[in-house]
Amino acid sequence: MIRQPIKKSTRIILGIGTIVLVLTFYTFISYRQHSANPDDSTIPTWHQFVDGVNKIVTVNPRSGDRWLVVDSKATAVRLFVGLGVGVGGAIFVGMLMGCFTIFEAAFIPILSLAAKVPPTAILAVFFVLVGIGINLYIAMIVFGLLPSLSMAIYLSIKQVPDELIYKSYTLGASHFEVACNIIFRHILPNIIDSIRLQIGPSMVYLIAAEMLCADVGMGYRIRLQARLLNMDVVYPYLAVLAGFGFSVDYVLKRIQAKICPWFLLG
Amino acid sequence: MVPIGLKMPIIVECDHVSHWFGENKVLHNIELCIEAGQIVGLVGPSGCGKSTLLRAIVGTHPPKKGTIRTFCYNPGQMDHGLDTVVTRPGRDRGIVYQKYTLMPFLTARKNVALGLKLDQTSIIGRMNLISWPSLCRKHLQKADEFLDKVGLSYAKNLYPAEMSGGMQQRVAIAQALIMKPRILLLDEPFGALDEAMREELNKMLLRFYQENLVAKAAGKSLPYTILIVTHELNEALYVGDRVVGLSQHWDWASAGHNSCPGATIVYDQPALVFHPDDARKFDGLSQQKEEICQALRGDSQKIV
Repeated sequence: MIRQPIKKSTRIILGIGTIVLVLTFYTFISYRQHSANPDDSTIPTWHQFVDGVNKIVTVNPRSGDRWLVVDSKATAVRLFVGLGVGVGGAIFVGMLMGCFTIFEAAFIPILSLAAKVPPTAILAVFFVLVGIGINLYIAMIVFGLLPSLSMAIYLSIKQVPDELIYKSYTLGASHFEVACNIIFRHILPNIIDSIRLQIGPSMVYLIAAEMLCADVGMGYRIRLQARLLNMDVVYPYLAVLAGFGFSVDYVLKRIQAKICPWFLLG
Repeated sequence: MVPIGLKMPIIVECDHVSHWFGENKVLHNIELCIEAGQIVGLVGPSGCGKSTLLRAIVGTHPPKKGTIRTFCYNPGQMDHGLDTVVTRPGRDRGIVYQKYTLMPFLTARKNVALGLKLDQTSIIGRMNLISWPSLCRKHLQKADEFLDKVGLSYAKNLYPAEMSGGMQQRVAIAQALIMKPRILLLDEPFGALDEAMREELNKMLLRFYQENLVAKAAGKSLPYTILIVTHELNEALYVGDRVVGLSQHWDWASAGHNSCPGATIVYDQPALVFHPDDARKFDGLSQQKEEICQALRGDSQKIV
């Protein structure tokens, strides 16, 4: 039957089973590839992976850096600053649009248009306007994130029942209090969910920009090592990116559960 | 039981109120005065504009024509106190809707205390780490008193999603009453509840009326003036000490109109007052019920 509940143990077994299946499949195709060509580096063996991980976590004799450390640091700073500016701007614009029809009328057309321009295509413009410093990456993330996130926030506000807003006024709230104390708190879990959904796209924009313009960062390293067919380095970097995205998503989920416990009851 | 009487100061006055949405004429020339301490049941056929009139009094949809005023009053004085012309929602009118009655992100006691917080402090005031926590405690204590009044002290830390529909409505009533509004407006508040819960909440309103009688006897101000919109005639007759009927089926042709100009008040009479402990029997009310039904159907002249 559709949506039939399953036991928690079944859920865990299925989740782990899928991962084991993928790893087994990878091991099989890696084994096959290396049987045909023992020097292959496109589908590394687990042993090659160990060498690759060692390469990225130990000090590189030429640069004197640990690749993983410097790249993670550069990417994380760019991502968090970009996310901070983008999320802050999106909340501000989304709240204005959702609460005041004058801003709704002013912003919706321009945001609808901006949302249709692929951020990677506009990289050239940012390259000219802001150079290749951290501002370029922030601009990429903000441009990619702000239109869709502010529209999501705007639509969440539209879902707030009028009755709650009217009632707030009868309880003595000012316009500002209705916006901050009622509407914002009502949509806060939706904002967190929307941010969670934007983590992936933000990383796409950042990695794409780093591949093209950076001299340090996860995107830069992946592009460089992929050109040298060092997939024993590329795959661990992808795993780190996946783990990083998963961790941020998990933290946001925990924050949502902590500050919006009521949301999980509904 | 003896009703409070019809000679109390006016709390809400609808003065020649008309309302329409484009070509759709909804209310026509409504004249209604609600006096302190009354519990008025507003009944009428579906789509006659009961909720529109209520929204006009709340101030979310002010009337296109006419004026609505609310008055405060001092006990023992018949003259009107300070009046407010209703143009927008304000803290002098409490409202309880049928749905979306509570803030889902607040527990019951915080929902009840919300009005005190919003009314007595500002966002900047709440940043004062010295005065705000003690004031917040006072608000919550006051909220607890009101939750006790509606019989929900045990549920003060529950979120709305954890409460039944009846519990939510009782919290919503406490939330509105804590503001000491001049009038409490109830928009079909018990429409989605089962019969047992509906009766329990009706008895709660009757207990409020008892408190009015006690306050009147002591020469104090009457704490509760209530307008309840309902499609249940029995409910209006049971909880109200006055029943007002609104209907679009009236003799508008003889008033010189080519088409119906909107619903108007076709019935306005006192109702029998029940004690909360009385059995809920409507046998003696069959004649009044029939009168109301005839007036609402347009089968009789206005009874006002």
